[in-house]
Amino acid sequence: MKKSIEVTVNGKSQSVEVDTRMVLADMLRENLRLTGTHIGCGTGSCGACTVMLDGRTVKSCSVLAADADGRSVQTVEGLSTSAVSLHPVQEAMVENQGLQCGYCTPGMVLSAVELLNKNPDPTEDEIRHGIAGNLCRCTGYHFVVTSIQAAAKSMKEGA
Amino acid sequence: MISQEFDFEAPSALPEALALLARHGDDATLLSGGMSLMPMTTLGLVQPGMIISLNHIAELDYVREDGNELRIGALTRHADVAADPLIGAHAALLAEAASLIGDVQVRNRGTIGGSIAHADPAANYLPAMLALGARLRLQSEAGERSVEAKDFVKGIMTTAIETGEMLTEIAIPKLAAGTGCSYQRLVRVEGNFAIVIAAAITEPGRKAARVGLGNVAPGPVLVDVSGHLGNGLDDAALAAIGDAAFDAAAEAASDLAGDANYRREMARVFARRAVQSATDAADAG
Amino acid sequence: MKHIGRAQTSLTNRQLAAGKGVFVSDIQRHDMTHMAVVRSPHASARIVSIDSAAAEAIPGVVKVVTGQEIKANMNPIFEAYDTEAMGAKGVVSYALCPERVRYVGEAVAAVVAEDKYTARKAADLVAVEYETTPIVSNTKAALEPGSPLVEPDWGDNILITRDFVKGDPDKAFADAEMTSSDEVYQHRYTGAALEPRAYMAEYDPYTEQLTYWASTQNPHPVRVFLAETLGIEESSIRVIQPHVGGGFGLKTPTFQEEPLVAYLARSLERPVKFVSERTEDLLVGGHAREMRLSYDVAFTKDGRITGFRAKVVADVGAPSALCGWGMSFVCAYSIPGCYKIENANVKLFSVVTNKCPWNAYRGYGKETASYLMDRVLDDVAAKTGRDRAEVRLKNFIPPDEFPYTQVSGANLDSGNYPGTLKRVLEMIDYEGFPARQEEARREGRYIGLGIGQELTPEGCSMPRSTLLGGYDGATVRVNPSGQVTVLTGITSPGNGNETAIAQIAADSLGVPFDQIKVIQGDTDICPYGLGNYSSRSVIMGGSAVQIAAKDIRDKMLKVAAKMLEVSADEVEVEEGQFSAKGAPARYVLFKDVASTVYRDCHGVAALEVEPGLESTRYFQHGNVYHQPETQGRFSAYPSWPNQSMAMIIEIDPETGHFDILKYCAVHDSGTVVNPLLAEANLHGGFLQGVGGAAHEHLVYDDDCQLLTTTFMDYTCPTAMEVPFFEVEHQETLSPFTPLGTKGVGESGVAGALSGLCSAIENALPHLDLRFTDLPLSPNAVWNAIHEAEEKRT
Repeated sequence: MKKSIEVTVNGKSQSVEVDTRMVLADMLRENLRLTGTHIGCGTGSCGACTVMLDGRTVKSCSVLAADADGRSVQTVEGLSTSAVSLHPVQEAMVENQGLQCGYCTPGMVLSAVELLNKNPDPTEDEIRHGIAGNLCRCTGYHFVVTSIQAAAKSMKEGA
Repeated sequence: MISQEFDFEAPSALPEALALLARHGDDATLLSGGMSLMPMTTLGLVQPGMIISLNHIAELDYVREDGNELRIGALTRHADVAADPLIGAHAALLAEAASLIGDVQVRNRGTIGGSIAHADPAANYLPAMLALGARLRLQSEAGERSVEAKDFVKGIMTTAIETGEMLTEIAIPKLAAGTGCSYQRLVRVEGNFAIVIAAAITEPGRKAARVGLGNVAPGPVLVDVSGHLGNGLDDAALAAIGDAAFDAAAEAASDLAGDANYRREMARVFARRAVQSATDAADAG
Repeated sequence: MKHIGRAQTSLTNRQLAAGKGVFVSDIQRHDMTHMAVVRSPHASARIVSIDSAAAEAIPGVVKVVTGQEIKANMNPIFEAYDTEAMGAKGVVSYALCPERVRYVGEAVAAVVAEDKYTARKAADLVAVEYETTPIVSNTKAALEPGSPLVEPDWGDNILITRDFVKGDPDKAFADAEMTSSDEVYQHRYTGAALEPRAYMAEYDPYTEQLTYWASTQNPHPVRVFLAETLGIEESSIRVIQPHVGGGFGLKTPTFQEEPLVAYLARSLERPVKFVSERTEDLLVGGHAREMRLSYDVAFTKDGRITGFRAKVVADVGAPSALCGWGMSFVCAYSIPGCYKIENANVKLFSVVTNKCPWNAYRGYGKETASYLMDRVLDDVAAKTGRDRAEVRLKNFIPPDEFPYTQVSGANLDSGNYPGTLKRVLEMIDYEGFPARQEEARREGRYIGLGIGQELTPEGCSMPRSTLLGGYDGATVRVNPSGQVTVLTGITSPGNGNETAIAQIAADSLGVPFDQIKVIQGDTDICPYGLGNYSSRSVIMGGSAVQIAAKDIRDKMLKVAAKMLEVSADEVEVEEGQFSAKGAPARYVLFKDVASTVYRDCHGVAALEVEPGLESTRYFQHGNVYHQPETQGRFSAYPSWPNQSMAMIIEIDPETGHFDILKYCAVHDSGTVVNPLLAEANLHGGFLQGVGGAAHEHLVYDDDCQLLTTTFMDYTCPTAMEVPFFEVEHQETLSPFTPLGTKGVGESGVAGALSGLCSAIENALPHLDLRFTDLPLSPNAVWNAIHEAEEKRT
């Protein structure tokens, strides 16, 4: 069954025709070609598909695209304006080696952005809690956590 | 990926949703946060003919005070339950239960109504609902009724909700000031379902205490431990509380996270810890 | 050397952090179709019939293909090992099973459709009639006389055996002051890279070229395997590896879907894409580890091991073309690891069952060897009442006895095992720990310290294998403007070796780091090479780059010398500048020398050199011996990095749940090219080690049905299950690589296995615990504690 929806993605209003079976992650990736949103498990466990829905992180493999009608979505592509001006969290990941293969990274970045939006000065434990919904198999999370610590510092200094 | 086609409706008002539900009966599956329904559908464990999304019914997303009760709309997201000041003030046990569900993304999307209606034996809210004496409001096009939390779960993922009915609101009696609460759980890894849950309440002045246990039976189990409060919760009293929890967990099942005996033993440990901690909090006033 | 040894962030970070990486599933092609696979629900069955009518009737279905068509049109899947050369039994298997299935999930048919939903839906409608056959569900059953056979024509269920002997073990046991024996178990788990497997193929009938995008670690071997399996010319295939979302060995070829996608794209003349679902990846994406190891150890009263016998019985699942079964061989080959034992016998039995075939997974059997030896050394320490570290130090191969020939014939290149252990014990304050433990006990807390000692041979080279070889190639090309392009046969599945390659190239040529561009993962562009596995990228690929760069540098030195009017041996080059030795003011720029070679080949300076600044060279690793010896001994691993780890945990004895409080490691892989990325790799290894020790488990029931098919059941550790890691490097150079490098990529996965066992034991000394089964789930740990408490009362 097809359905037409109106959805704002990265600030831009879009009309999209979706199959009702389609999850938000697939709509972003296949219809809108925003392939920075990755699918790692399809069952809401790994967090690679994390996007912001109406300003909060969700796992977009577990949201029907049709259900995003009238909503606002922000993906990793919406965080930066160009290759040289990434979001401070992304810059911190780049500088502190907070990634390896990069598959979990967009979701991890969005979780970190949400965390720092709510809590600009998190403890190590709060950071670990904040990214507990994002599995990473490469980094052991060490440099992810230090990257988020660095991002918190630079965002405070920048603010 | 979901390969089976289904019809999809996303009503924006409750009457519309209830009308759809009346029309489609058991063919329709209600979707709110989708934290269980979506993976189950993706895995082909359920194959809904129609999905009615409740996510656009703003009137179901609220927390308000009503005399001696808190009323929580079924569409209230876990993150909002966890952070709500009214819930924090009058039903802290519930806030704690919500704050420990899954992970940030799950709490941002999942809803209290969805979790309760799905009635997974390992899910967080039901043991707290029992301890809090919550009532669940079930509405249909024909009318509405209220079910006590203790009468809600009929079996594994089977509830008192009848065809055409929908859980729309959770009513919780406000806890008296000075009530001690403690929510304790054991998980394999962060974000995974709990192996065992214990949600305890000790009333001010130790007038009464009870502990709701989760994932030790097809549904949540309430153990009244008021009789053990006595003087200072000594080792004997705690042992007796543990024994009561162990006995109450007689129907515990085995799964990949833990076998039945381990679950029963953990019911013992976590009930004791939760009651101890709730009582300490009550004593501290 | 300005760049080798420098902490440099990975060159791919920016693109990947921005979400602009390109993975196979991101690629869309015009007229693309999607493939879904019909998998066996049975662990052992004969295919009676396949009815695809219902599937074919669905609008949008392009084709249904079954094993009969595949068998008629394709060769069996080409094997990663030359099983004959290994003395192992081989197997004939196809991209789709034509007659019988041997594990749940084995592919029997596939559907190609216009969209992925239709493909999946139609695949579920393909009606396969099976006649189930008896199941071989574990090694014990498999080895019983009269057992059903996984491969009927084998005669038994044994894929390979080995019997390595050194000295006179019987005499050692007869003369022993003390002995002990035990059995340890390593459960089945896997790497679970976050990007599931994905392949796409597109065929151009006009040029007769097949372009093949794969989430693989080994583009060139994939091309060979596709050509052999499809029966087409290798040169008609181009394999491209885009970004890869983690490999950890699991993305080495050849899975059934790999040639299948290629075949379908060719026969349909349309692009065909396959993206595995997580459930499929857990079911058939390669398993690892499941081994039972028994041992007898003879030792003196002061803890010196005088004799050792070990028997490895591995459940490698159903045999396949994959290289996974080799992990059982390498486990036996690596025993007794870091320890000098003059009289030893190691026996191997690799047993096939009706479970998912193994594929390579980080550690490749060495982790299980390390786990065994750690459990043995802890046993000896306990029996002699000696300190765990002291017993290890007493039995290590002394640093001055390298190269050292181990029981299997393995030739250990170099090492300083006491060095890493002593240092890690300092880092964790081993001396001060008992006091700390005592203090915690007074607070009602139980903390324990564990030690894990790893030996992780790298650079795997197996005889006549297309995949596993001890060499690799690189091209170094300086363009007329003086920038450098490096093309390698090794690849990076996300671990940053392109960055280390650029560092080696920059130093070898004498140019700034930012002048180097590294290109990997395209068989039409890059020199032949074997890709990424066995931590070979820097030791093989980096060495090849160094050799090729030297050719270019020597040529440019000659030209620069002419330009500077001095002799070539009086010229040096650094950071883009050739200068006369001792007279830095007299220089010519690297780019001007390059320009001269290209633009002025008949001029004075360049007249005597061959035009062009490009060299393709191969590095062949020393210390590999494939000449047959008695008992089939040979030396397959040239490089032997090691690591000592120590960790502190806190256990809740009432629940069996533990937290890791501190995790220290001293790693030795010789020269470290990039300490930042080396450490980053180790962190990932630690996580997978902890995951394997405590959280991750592929559970089968007695019918060989996998019960853990989602990330809800297969529980990977989150950021909450691990602490920060403290890492130091010791550098004991390899004498067999030009830079003294050894591999890094697999280190870290072993130490937690026994380390966490011993940490828990150490936390509860009054219970005299002994863990020999993994994983250390809360339930399992509680059971052990509970049993010990019962025994005490």
